[in-house]
Amino acid sequence: MQPLTEEERKRAFAATRKPEAIRKQRLPVRYHVEDFEVADRPRRFLEAFAAILKHTNYRLALDHYMRVTAKCSRCSVKCQVYVATGDTNDIPCHRSELLLSVYRRHFTVSGVLRGRILGDPGLTDERIQEMADSFYNCTACRRCHFECPMGIDHALITHLGRYILSEIGIVPRALAVSVREQLTGATGNTSAVPVAALKDGLEFLSEEMQEDKGIDIPFPIDQDGAEYLFLPAVSDFLMEGETLMGNAAVFRATGDKWTIGTGYFDGINYGLFYSDHILEQVLQKIRAEAERLQVSKILIGECGHASRSAKFFYPTFCGGKEALPVVNIMEYTHRAWKEGRLKLKPDAISETVTYHDPCNLARSGWVVEQPRELLKAFCTNYVEMTPNRQDNICCGGGGGTVSMDELRPYRTLVGGRMKADQIRATGAKYCVAPCANCKKQLRELVEEHAIDCQIVGLHDLLYKAIIFDSSVPGE
Amino acid sequence: MPAFEVNGKTYNVDEDGFLEEPGVWTKEVATDFAGCEGVTELTENHWKVINYLRNYYLQFGIAPMIRKLCKETGFKLNEIYAMFPSGPAKGACKLAGLPKPTGCV
Repeated sequence: MQPLTEEERKRAFAATRKPEAIRKQRLPVRYHVEDFEVADRPRRFLEAFAAILKHTNYRLALDHYMRVTAKCSRCSVKCQVYVATGDTNDIPCHRSELLLSVYRRHFTVSGVLRGRILGDPGLTDERIQEMADSFYNCTACRRCHFECPMGIDHALITHLGRYILSEIGIVPRALAVSVREQLTGATGNTSAVPVAALKDGLEFLSEEMQEDKGIDIPFPIDQDGAEYLFLPAVSDFLMEGETLMGNAAVFRATGDKWTIGTGYFDGINYGLFYSDHILEQVLQKIRAEAERLQVSKILIGECGHASRSAKFFYPTFCGGKEALPVVNIMEYTHRAWKEGRLKLKPDAISETVTYHDPCNLARSGWVVEQPRELLKAFCTNYVEMTPNRQDNICCGGGGGTVSMDELRPYRTLVGGRMKADQIRATGAKYCVAPCANCKKQLRELVEEHAIDCQIVGLHDLLYKAIIFDSSVPGE
Repeated sequence: MPAFEVNGKTYNVDEDGFLEEPGVWTKEVATDFAGCEGVTELTENHWKVINYLRNYYLQFGIAPMIRKLCKETGFKLNEIYAMFPSGPAKGACKLAGLPKPTGCV
């Protein structure tokens, strides 16, 4: 990988906000932040921290991490941000230490005593500024977790740090505005898509497919008692028509009953990036819609964080063992294909195709082989990028940073630098990135680095390979 | 609220330079904003995209699906990028006076 040139460094770290705003908020960060109460910040940070510790299980993790952390920096080799910047502040265990040291000083007996004896003033406003900057340089890809000899999950600490910061008003504006629309706005989704526009878009896609394949491929809306409630990243309804066409075509082929609910149709959950409180509120919206339509499963579209937030936290907040099962669309499609209910033309795509593992799907080993088996079933020229699967490299726009347009030069020059080399090395015509977040970031990345590769979703390509029976299945 | 001054006029815009009140849009807005989105001259093709976006927004309250925009205006996506270097969701929408897209757009 080429080191950052002086010019690139300047662009990546250029100030994006007006100096007055930075001065007024006392926050030298590059992402935009809505105005918030600045006075007495350290005290309010500690109060928020204490409240979170009281009502959650984070204390268990922090107690353990605080004792075992060796600060050995082995994680540095895994961090694509540190490898690009070479700045020691970007080493994951340094980032974690920013918060762990606050915990040690203020929330342990020995730390409080030592503070009194040594006259340590404790948390300062400067430390809060440092955390606000550092925690959003991380893409929360969790790759460093594998290299840590003590098993510290640095992304969990980053998440907690962002959670506490959000409680005192420090949240990237792009995330805050979207979440406000989702939870309290008229449209109830992050991209502010009204139901009329949703229906218009879906009708248009059905017409396109009718024209293309000569058969009726519907998007069922508000079907009571359907098996699957479908929740893609809502941005798919604006940006990824091709992916949605693939999704609908799979259901047309299998004949399973699915539906999009007009009460709630957004899989996006930015709570995963910065607030457990919001994570829960968004999941409760999914639960309400699932109950309204009496569905039996929740199906998340091609989106990494939407899938992970629902798969792993829906049971936590919405009924435990009784909670509805959560399925990712690629799991669904893969199973249908395995069962022989979905037939694919083996030579539908002859161009070189590679696969990018979205961190939120692959890091835990959840959706790794399914998309590969599907791709190999209809692409004659499939190549892997390295490293891959659980050890994949992040697109560079994870952890919510992709929504912040002001960070674009940082994301493409620093965060995605390793990824750009990786994609270029495959020489692929198509890079399949089954995640709304990764798609946006990778498109900006290939544009910045002038790589001749088209970023698509898995279902975009699969759509070209589906063989439809002449009879309507299930009837 | 930041203000954007151009050609002797002042517009109220957000931090990303999008019009704060999409209702106050006139054709002059598109002309005045073109420079900051890397558009040197507004041709007939530009107006076709801008007018389609504007009318769709007035009817539905949001920008159309990209695929629909391409189909209805007859331009391929790369042609739209050639006209509006920052893309349909950012550059074209800004000139058509739509609010800044939120979420993963």
